[in-house]
Amino acid sequence: MGKKEWLEGFKKIYPVMISYVPLGLACGMLLYEAGIGLWGIFLMSLLVFAGAGQFMAASMLSAGATMPSIVIMTFFLNLRHLLMSSSIAPFFKKRSVPFLMLFSHTLADEAYAINYNQFQTDKEWRPEEALSANLLAYSSWVGSTVVGGYIGSSFSMNTVIMNYVLIAMFTCMLVNQFVSKIFVLVGILSGVLAVILMVILHHNISLVIAAVLASFIGYLLDEQREKKRTVEGDAIQDE
Amino acid sequence: MNSNLLGLILGMAVVTYFPRFIPMLVLSNRQIPKKLAKWMSFIPVSIFAALVFSDVFFWNSEVNVNPIENVKLLPTVLVFYIAYKTQSLLWSMVFGIIGISFMIWFF
Repeated sequence: MGKKEWLEGFKKIYPVMISYVPLGLACGMLLYEAGIGLWGIFLMSLLVFAGAGQFMAASMLSAGATMPSIVIMTFFLNLRHLLMSSSIAPFFKKRSVPFLMLFSHTLADEAYAINYNQFQTDKEWRPEEALSANLLAYSSWVGSTVVGGYIGSSFSMNTVIMNYVLIAMFTCMLVNQFVSKIFVLVGILSGVLAVILMVILHHNISLVIAAVLASFIGYLLDEQREKKRTVEGDAIQDE
Repeated sequence: MNSNLLGLILGMAVVTYFPRFIPMLVLSNRQIPKKLAKWMSFIPVSIFAALVFSDVFFWNSEVNVNPIENVKLLPTVLVFYIAYKTQSLLWSMVFGIIGISFMIWFF
């Protein structure tokens, strides 16, 4: 990739790069607080590169969760990338496997949104520009989390407040998911299930069970609703 | 860095990487099954709700819905409102910090 691709990528992605700075700083501080050192933070951002997943790891580590439950939870949380990857894949014809591997690794919510929009609206936007946008956002995230960890190592912070920053962030992500009534219902169901299971099991695996159950119930409700709609549609046609 | 931490990072890296890469590799000309996509669309909302509820309603490892003892409850109501109005992660975090700090100082 030449200078042109990097410049084009930068023009579109710089708002994401800027927004990653405060989030990355917060994430780095929380990861440090959760007992992950600077090298660990660097390695995690480099190899995992998933904002919400890394925030969640910090939160679950602080709550004393076991490694397998963090990994399982990360899997489910990041499963949404499967949808993003599937929808953007058709724009990547005739590219080498290493190219696809690198693009996939750096695929994240914000850059996906920008790239998908670019592919749809801009004929000049090619996979090379998309990759450069991804890599720029990626480097902003890795840099910010490491600096955040460094700040966290120099100052001590109130742990109740620091932990609450996470909750505030997850609350916002939750609210952003409320796109229709059924999503609100599934959210409440999952939350209530998680609390009940936590009381019974005293283990963070409760969150995984609650999320899987609630999302499946959401699926069933949606299927039911669609069926009803088709039946009603047929009834109207019959009249 | 101890091996537990390295294991955690590698575990997270692997489970994050495959959902990103597999569709890129095999689905470039196809769509994923509709039913699977529908189920997956409910996963993020479920996870965020489970994370928020299982934290906010607990205080000292017990369910506590007294807003004066459990200082997380009222700020969460505020953050819900801010998130609904602004959709912004940053504003939600800022108001969350202000809210929780206020509660800690006063109660």
